[in-house]
Amino acid sequence: MDSGTGSSPSPELAAALHRLRSTLARLKAELELAREEGAAPPVERIRGDVDEALELLRAVERSALGLVTVLVVDDDVRLAELTARGLRRMGYDSDSADRFREARPGEVVVFDLGLYSGLDESARSALRSARPIVVTGATDAASRALAKSLNASDYLVKPIELEELAAAISRRIAEG
Amino acid sequence: MPAKLLVVDDEPRTAELTAELLRRAGYLVDIAASGAAALASVRSSSPDLMLLDYEMPDMEAPEVLDSLRSGGDRIAFPVIILTGARHAAGDQVLGIERGATDYIVKGTDRQVLLARVRGALRDRAPETRIISSGRLRIDLAGGQAWLGARALKLERRPLQMLQLLAARPGEVVGREELLERVWGTNYAGFEHSVEQAAHQIRRALAEPGWIETVRGLGYRFVAQP
Repeated sequence: MDSGTGSSPSPELAAALHRLRSTLARLKAELELAREEGAAPPVERIRGDVDEALELLRAVERSALGLVTVLVVDDDVRLAELTARGLRRMGYDSDSADRFREARPGEVVVFDLGLYSGLDESARSALRSARPIVVTGATDAASRALAKSLNASDYLVKPIELEELAAAISRRIAEG
Repeated sequence: MPAKLLVVDDEPRTAELTAELLRRAGYLVDIAASGAAALASVRSSSPDLMLLDYEMPDMEAPEVLDSLRSGGDRIAFPVIILTGARHAAGDQVLGIERGATDYIVKGTDRQVLLARVRGALRDRAPETRIISSGRLRIDLAGGQAWLGARALKLERRPLQMLQLLAARPGEVVGREELLERVWGTNYAGFEHSVEQAAHQIRRALAEPGWIETVRGLGYRFVAQP
């Protein structure tokens, strides 16, 4: 169906909205049941549903507002957080972590190559499919080869200015 | 003395719940229900940090930040803006210019909220812009320092580091704190930056004694006659 402005919502947006509605409906049903039975609401399940709804809302925002989500992974957690904060001030939805976790759909991963050796095979494969922006203190051929094997979208050598990182993020987004 | 926070939100339940989460983490928390009330509260008792809702009926966060800055005051405390999703590179860029320290998307986990509050409190701006100690005078806003009549040739970061140390004479300022507060907008790989800056400061001062290295910890400013 066409909206009044002549543009139709993206399939990603429609899917996220659909799932958001169904999560909220489930939440409402849980609460109504608990009220009818005079029982305490199932706090853990409700908490899980709310987390899921917020996660879906993020997907909606990403699709509708062009929000860019970034995960900065560095073993130096304070520096990772400072970078994430700098990115937040530049308008990115950015989090930091001291270890790699599976990326959310559409999330751009900034990965410190120094953490590679600690990853198991499934994490390495998840990292490859995220096509990370690799950040490293080393410029040797072995590091470059490793970045390449990780399917890296960019390879940045520390120290890195935020603007440089933002440019790499834009390139990564443009590649799709 | 626990840090004093001001939560600004026009939605009373949101304000009270946010305040309660912060109180349980040991902070003293005041609430303001509008932009105007926030400005009044700041004038009567300056908070250590403000959590500011982006959108309120009487004013939006950028207006509050502007008002805080006008009238001769500058924002001497960090401001974290609570917001929904934002268009990249729109109001965020304004946020930097107007002095927001960080952003938190509403609904973020409590641990993340607390971590960002802690992070912002650590980065509190020094209270004074111009610092004098004996013959040394540092004007960070003007980007200059003098020893007596002699202007010191210092790049921005060594100058910031000198200012930070001189603001707390006799106190050891850790390497990590220097990294965070002086190099904070940069990313990683600073193994030698602090040492290089200390070297540049000493060379510019060209007199021994002002900056002491405290091995394994950081640096200490020692006032000289």
